[in-house]
Amino acid sequence: MSSSTDRQLLTGEAIRSQLTEFLNRQTKREVAPDLDMFASGLVSSLFALELVVHIESTFGITIAGPDLRLDNFRTVDAMTALVLRLREESDE
Amino acid sequence: MSDGWAEAEAMVAEAIGDQAEAWDHNGRLPVDTLRELGTKGILCAQAPQKYGGLGLSSLDNGELTARTGARCSSLRSVLTSQGMAAWTIQRLGTAKQRGAHLGALTSGSLAGVAFSEPAAGSDLAAMTTRITPDGSEVVLDGQKTWITVAAYADLLVVFGRLGDEAGAVLVPTDAPGVRIERVAEPLGCRAAGHADVWFDGVRLPRDAVLGGTALPLGLIATTALTYGRVSVAWGCVGILRSCLAAAARHAATRQQGGTPLAAHQLVRRHLAELSVAEQAATRLCEHASRCWDARTPDLVSAAVLAKHFAATNAAAGASTAVQVLASAGSRNGHPVARAYRDAKLMEIIEGSNEVSQLMLAEHALAVWS
Repeated sequence: MSSSTDRQLLTGEAIRSQLTEFLNRQTKREVAPDLDMFASGLVSSLFALELVVHIESTFGITIAGPDLRLDNFRTVDAMTALVLRLREESDE
Repeated sequence: MSDGWAEAEAMVAEAIGDQAEAWDHNGRLPVDTLRELGTKGILCAQAPQKYGGLGLSSLDNGELTARTGARCSSLRSVLTSQGMAAWTIQRLGTAKQRGAHLGALTSGSLAGVAFSEPAAGSDLAAMTTRITPDGSEVVLDGQKTWITVAAYADLLVVFGRLGDEAGAVLVPTDAPGVRIERVAEPLGCRAAGHADVWFDGVRLPRDAVLGGTALPLGLIATTALTYGRVSVAWGCVGILRSCLAAAARHAATRQQGGTPLAAHQLVRRHLAELSVAEQAATRLCEHASRCWDARTPDLVSAAVLAKHFAATNAAAGASTAVQVLASAGSRNGHPVARAYRDAKLMEIIEGSNEVSQLMLAEHALAVWS
């Protein structure tokens, strides 16, 4: 999925399902929204950056500086909250 | 903007002139020349224009990097280090840090990035350099080895442990407690300013920590190294072009057994192999850069693939070129002799051949199993 969705309204549910689909595909596992991806060993250092770049290009945001901290990427729920916040901030 | 690299490349060509061999021989680049190129934004050409950079795409900066590397791998190493430092600041820094430090890197300040330690080369998890918060300051302790450009640098981006995670901290090289010792005689990229660096209780403002907080080591290291890998890969394309040109010229003109060398089939095979290597490495670099410019997640593995292929082929290609030129290319400062030494180091930095293969294998398993 390469189309940028940055000028559309996106609900948390839509973001969550997009992220889950990407993670299921990449890890070949069913990733629950509250699964700690790092604690479960699903995330290599290469994959961590792929995930960041995927989230940025899919949702039209930039994740830089302190937003790169681990807690923002532990679970699908945390990533969803990050995307919602950054999209809101970029609208301001 | 197509050919965004052309003007910068002309300035690089003028700055190098016919000096690459002398710089290699003396193991020194002229610092004034580096600062001048830095002021023009050429050393970190992907930095955005609002910070004084040229704002080149990865693809255009790649071509600039290859053309620099074809002339002088030491100067190309400076482009890699400065570019990686700028990218790391852009990516990990806060808006305030980006404004302050990217501006410096396009105003003549020189920067390197410090990962490797005596007991932590490929295994970054073994890193022992520590960033310790202390009130409004942080204290940096540790040792880094073989840091490219460190002998010239005003600023180092130093990776270390911070709490349970990691951090990247900006260290002015004149800060008390910083000691820099040049590696005496590197095998290759001899003028790139490789140095060992010691940090002994170096006190820095809290704001020296990029992003102001602890970040995951794997993520921030991969972020910086991915830039470095794309840059090194393009530099290796430059090495291959230099070797191909030297080998083809020599084979076309040098007479052996009453005919030009190029009339001999075994020599022609060398030229064919060099040509294939140059073209294939270029295509892989273009792919990695296009992934970078389009921000597709594939850029991470594409960068490893391009770096690994370009480095191994540059090393093999430089060996081939020396073989074709024989005694003519065996004088130490000759372009193919330099390429031979420089290319070998490219199989080691930014992920050795073996570490690159482990990453490529992991990627293969993830995609194909």
